[in-house]
Amino acid sequence: MFEAIAFYLFSAVTISMFIITVMSKNALYSMSALAAGMIMISGFFFLLDADFLGVVQIIVYTGAVMALYAFGMMFFDATRDVKENIRAPKLVFLLSGMTALLLVLAFVAPIVSDHIQALYPVVDGVENPQAVGIVLFTKYLVPFEVAAVMLLVAMIAGIILAGKKMDESLTLKIDGDEEFQNKGSK
Amino acid sequence: MTLTEFVIATIVKILLVLGIVSALAGFGTYLERKVLAFMQRRLGPMHVGPYGLLQVLADGIKLFTKEDFVPQNSIRPIFMIAPLIGAASAFIALAAVPLLPEFKIFGITVHPIIADVNVGILFVLGVMATGLYAPLLAGMASSNKWGLLGAARTVIQLLSYEVVTGLSVMAPLMLVGSLSLIDINNYQANGFKEWIIWQQPVAFVLFLIAGFAETNRTPFDLLEHEAEIVSGFATEYSGMRWGMFFIGEYTNMITLAFLASLVFLGGFNEWGFLPGGLAIILKVSFLFFFFLWTRAAWPHVRPDQLMWLCWKVLLPLAVVNIVITGLVLMM
Amino acid sequence: MSLDQFKDRNVTQNYMFIPVDKPPVAPLEKFKQVLKRTFKGELFVGLWVVFREMVKFNIHTVQYPKEKLPISPRYRAVHKLYRLLESGNERCIGCGLCEKICISNCIRMDTRYDENQRKEVTEYTINLGRCIFCGYCAEVCPELAIVHGPRYENASEQRAHFVLRDDILTPLDFLKEGKQEEFPGFGAVSPNADDRIKKTPLAY
Repeated sequence: MFEAIAFYLFSAVTISMFIITVMSKNALYSMSALAAGMIMISGFFFLLDADFLGVVQIIVYTGAVMALYAFGMMFFDATRDVKENIRAPKLVFLLSGMTALLLVLAFVAPIVSDHIQALYPVVDGVENPQAVGIVLFTKYLVPFEVAAVMLLVAMIAGIILAGKKMDESLTLKIDGDEEFQNKGSK
Repeated sequence: MTLTEFVIATIVKILLVLGIVSALAGFGTYLERKVLAFMQRRLGPMHVGPYGLLQVLADGIKLFTKEDFVPQNSIRPIFMIAPLIGAASAFIALAAVPLLPEFKIFGITVHPIIADVNVGILFVLGVMATGLYAPLLAGMASSNKWGLLGAARTVIQLLSYEVVTGLSVMAPLMLVGSLSLIDINNYQANGFKEWIIWQQPVAFVLFLIAGFAETNRTPFDLLEHEAEIVSGFATEYSGMRWGMFFIGEYTNMITLAFLASLVFLGGFNEWGFLPGGLAIILKVSFLFFFFLWTRAAWPHVRPDQLMWLCWKVLLPLAVVNIVITGLVLMM
Repeated sequence: MSLDQFKDRNVTQNYMFIPVDKPPVAPLEKFKQVLKRTFKGELFVGLWVVFREMVKFNIHTVQYPKEKLPISPRYRAVHKLYRLLESGNERCIGCGLCEKICISNCIRMDTRYDENQRKEVTEYTINLGRCIFCGYCAEVCPELAIVHGPRYENASEQRAHFVLRDDILTPLDFLKEGKQEEFPGFGAVSPNADDRIKKTPLAY
């Protein structure tokens, strides 16, 4: 009974949070709702006894959405509504709605026709993190490594893009301060 | 134990922990003022009650009866929710911490842990990290320059220390082979020499440093540093909403002190002639005192210095520590 | 130093660059600096110093309303009007010097001739809200009638309370008990005045 109550509670909260994320014009509302929704999703993992995944969900999305906030802070005045300039709102709504529907159908189809089954059933006596580790390093080793390499590539690209002037410290400018010194002596 | 009993026991535990810890958090402010005062050759609060003991009560009355106002241009709902996030996440994090060893009272065995999550330490750290949404949202919603600066610093702080926290705890976890705080505690059951701090001193130091950043304490209290950004994220807050940030902060300090003593300092195992419960309370008290001590002694760092420290010094150290631990474990 | 320097609004002119130690540039030097700072133990020195002070418990707090620091006899706080010791009359002769010299114009007095054709002060008011406690009135008073007392705590519900003459005038019963102490401070004759006095030479 408790599980059912918790499930419906979390579902309602999650769905309403994501609706706010999509519908709100205010960047701060959207981001906060996104963060709340992401953290609420971890509730489902806890309900399914997947503690590790639930905690990882919390940790990862706390940091990730926090980074999103940083960008939001830099680009918008978060306390004002964003004015969007959409020419054909109906078309956008229709297209995005159809895409979402297609995605849901694609994921639901195998469940409806009973073609889905757990290939790695839970082994007794193996804890959650270990189970994740076993699956990650046997069946999904290649995708795991590919993802790791992709992240590395992204990181290197980011460093190179951002780090062209990395050696110059903004706070400890002393050698490059001739301009300042000249101004002072004039 | 039937389900009903379990629910009742849990609710009782929740109420007890909530009451005791929030009282302790209030008392913590008194302790902090006293210890800081003594270290600076002052007396601290003296007038309310004997030795100023009732100061906490007076402050509580003041906070509760103050006008609770919301600035005009702020985003009202988020402004009002933010302090709740701070206090709530601090207490939720505390839920997965085993506070004392098991004990018997009226013939019932009590497990002094509210929710025995088997990935306890990750849960605690994750939820504590969520607590930083409180200053972030507070700063961004209050439409105030200083608030916004405080919020920006929150992001910096979280992104800097969180990696270090995770990596520094990783090495002890590799030794223990479990993420459950109770397992970690039992690993150190054989007395003083078995404490993880002797095997992982570097990890302990890194964890403490990251913990200071996590609880927003002095060497890293960038979020509301008075000398720079008036009061940072809390500039526009008053009354009990402001007080909730403080309850959150002190609860986080207590949680972190518990975590550090559980993971590194032998937890609630018996220590010589000291029974386990007393031992862990002593350790937590010392760590809490250490928080105050450093506040009196050390200057705070700039945000860029914090990032430099976390990413360029602590992160490589933590990684090297993990690699060495792994090599030693493999041999 | 002439006044021109202060009138000069060009602020950049007098600025100078304070040299800072050059931060190390080479990676090895940077690394050495970090190592030096890490293992020098300065942080622990700081911890030890504050802990030592806490254990010594050498407290310097003055718990103000309960205990007060002694003040100098020359301290210039709220004024007092003194009476003559024998007769109990006011010392003030209504000369009006204090009114004249007061640089913030906060003393006002009203005088009249009494039945003996002596000058009598009918009203005497010091607006303490404007007084800057410079002490000129006490210094200029030829009779040591107005002096500065030691009362430095001023709080009241109304500004009018700060100008009451009755508050600063020595009460009669107080005088009879011999409690009006001669004021040693600002404007008073110095204790060894008799020794230092010299006859005015007739010819220079």
